Amino acid sequence: MNAFVETAMLVVGFLLIIAGCYGLIRTYHLLKIVIGVEVAMKAVTMFIILAGFINGKAALAQTFVITVIVIEVVVAVVAVGIAINLYHNYGSMDVRNLRKLKG
Amino acid sequence: MEAVVYICLGLMFIFGVLAVMLRSMLKSAIALAVASAMLGIIMYVLGSVWAAMFEISVCSGLITVIFISAISLSNTDKKDLAKLYEDKERMAFLPAVLIISGVVLLLVVTSPVFSLPAVAPVAEAADTLRETLWTHRQADIWGQAMVIITGALTVVALFKERE
Amino acid sequence: MQVIEYSAVLFFVVPLAILLINILLPKQLAEKFSIYLAGIAAVTQIAASAAGFLLLSAYRLHEYEFSLFCDTTNAGSVRFAVNTFSLVILFCIGLVSLASILVANRTVDKKRAGYVNLLMMLMLGMNGMVVVTDLFSLYVFLEIVGISSFVLIAMFKSDTGLEGAFKYLVMSVLASIMILTGLSFIFMQTGSLQYAHVMGMNLLEGQSSPQLMLIYTAMILMIAGFGIKTGAVPFHSWLPDAHQSANTAISVLLSGIVIKVAGIYGFIILTGLFSKLPAVNMTLAIMGTISIIIGALFALRQNHFKRIVAYSSVSQMGYILLGLSADSILGLLGAIVHVFNHATFKSTLFTNAAAVHEQTGTYDIDEMGGLEKKMPVTGFSSLAAFMSTAGIPPFAGFWSKLLIIMALWNSGLQLFAAIALFASIFTAAYFLRLQKKVFFGKLLSKFAGLTEIGGSIKFVQIMLTVVTIATGLFFPFALLYLRGIGIL
Repeated sequence: MNAFVETAMLVVGFLLIIAGCYGLIRTYHLLKIVIGVEVAMKAVTMFIILAGFINGKAALAQTFVITVIVIEVVVAVVAVGIAINLYHNYGSMDVRNLRKLKG
Repeated sequence: MEAVVYICLGLMFIFGVLAVMLRSMLKSAIALAVASAMLGIIMYVLGSVWAAMFEISVCSGLITVIFISAISLSNTDKKDLAKLYEDKERMAFLPAVLIISGVVLLLVVTSPVFSLPAVAPVAEAADTLRETLWTHRQADIWGQAMVIITGALTVVALFKERE
Repeated sequence: MQVIEYSAVLFFVVPLAILLINILLPKQLAEKFSIYLAGIAAVTQIAASAAGFLLLSAYRLHEYEFSLFCDTTNAGSVRFAVNTFSLVILFCIGLVSLASILVANRTVDKKRAGYVNLLMMLMLGMNGMVVVTDLFSLYVFLEIVGISSFVLIAMFKSDTGLEGAFKYLVMSVLASIMILTGLSFIFMQTGSLQYAHVMGMNLLEGQSSPQLMLIYTAMILMIAGFGIKTGAVPFHSWLPDAHQSANTAISVLLSGIVIKVAGIYGFIILTGLFSKLPAVNMTLAIMGTISIIIGALFALRQNHFKRIVAYSSVSQMGYILLGLSADSILGLLGAIVHVFNHATFKSTLFTNAAAVHEQTGTYDIDEMGGLEKKMPVTGFSSLAAFMSTAGIPPFAGFWSKLLIIMALWNSGLQLFAAIALFASIFTAAYFLRLQKKVFFGKLLSKFAGLTEIGGSIKFVQIMLTVVTIATGLFFPFALLYLRGIGIL
């Protein structure tokens, strides 16, 4: 019974990562990219907790998760900061405006 | 206990996919918050109490607040503006992609090639977390402090008004 | 012994102290003096790492563990450790930071205090990455490096700067997700992520094939993740945009040290821990070869000075990856010496880009010509850097390329050695084109009043050229010294 829970968590985690990365790549909205990143990070957090649950080291896994959450917040703040500055420059949050660098 | 995990897994998955696919940014952010809450419940049921508390307070709370302030700062949620980003058409293939990869993963997982390591769930007291965090993982503590300082410097660098 | 302990702790304490001083100073003083404070930090880092290297070899130690105001008597606690290779990388960090600070003295006009603050955090992150002994702490400090570099690129709020920073951010979070997923799979298997524990476990023997699948997935994910951070092909698309749009002082940092510490050091750890898995070396070799060829081919088509240099970085990262894939001490030595050489000649090239931009106002090489007559120091240092990149003796690049090719030949990857040797022709080709278009040829009339760049940028060019030539001339003695202290 327990093994089935873990397998389900693995499968759902992989599907969430695929969903998050798909959304990140295909969207045209700057903030949607950040949401895609966050969704994928949820799945990764779940993998870490699952790993701790499997090999018995739940406390170590919790310390990992706490650190990952702190990092995730700061990365979200930076991404949102750059997005808002882009909005000030261009007037919209469209990724298609970012065409100045090419080659 | 198992039933709770399954329900929360299913809900987290649904809200996660909704967060990516919805056209309105506000609803997207709220779906993300609900998915984080579901993940928190899963973590609590699996025994990781402190991580669940952190997850719910930070991801369901702080990140949602950051998103909502970004959305209101950029005025981006009006209906006609939302249509501009063509999210519905761009994400139309996502359910198909997910179903196909779900089928592939299920085939991989149920084949005899695959098995997980043995399970040994241990209910550990909260003391162990304190000891692990503060005496064994001091490099991480330093790292977290520096990440937060960097975040503060970032906010100063990026959000100050133009002179 | 105490001296080693103090010099090791300095790597953390000095940037933190300078950061604190910079924050506490009132605003006018901060804008004027912060560059000098940052210079002090960089020089201290150079001195501390050189002292540490000499002391470690004098005591015949390979590694020295230290703690940072905490209690290390606990058996399972995570410590910091420096060994002779990481001290070389720490020296490079100090050297490139010094070059960047001196260039920034000319090119960064506003927000100098903010630049210095973020630079100190970047140095802290890179120092941290190199001295930790645990895979998860490596990830944490990798994120610090990433966050500081995004903000450094974006902080001047130009259109191109924000765009380059955002593209870098998107690729970098993809890399973080992949690395973390790989780490969680390894954690599932081993139960601990410290280097000593993971190295001690034999991940292949006694495992049934289902558990191998998780490990192979973890390996693929981590190689892809660190590959994005290095800018190896096929993950290189962020690199030219980020380098072109950043302020040149920050391009010096990015190409000179960040892609190496964030990416290549990750690969060094991966090959150190997991090289017994056979597919890892072959994957690295293939990635390296493709990077060399594609980086060089793209560099031939560019017209923007900084983009040519950025694609050249992609190409040189391929050489370093090839050196690592040889899986021998000679390959590792070649890779690390190439990291050092690349730091010097790439910093020289970006400094020359800054010098040319300061004096002519453009980066487009089609609009330049014959600058050597008016800017002889810049022209000569560019020539020295180009010869070092192409691997022409007696410049330093020749030795590191020789070591890499020898290591490849010895470990049976002769085909890759031949390709690496042949691809030097491409390297020479794109640099010859750059040199000819910018420095040789006829002087255009609009540049008649041009003068040589002065001040700190000239100092950086001279200093880095001297380092390149000196490394090249004295390298055989360095090899003998290494044999003497027992590394080779």
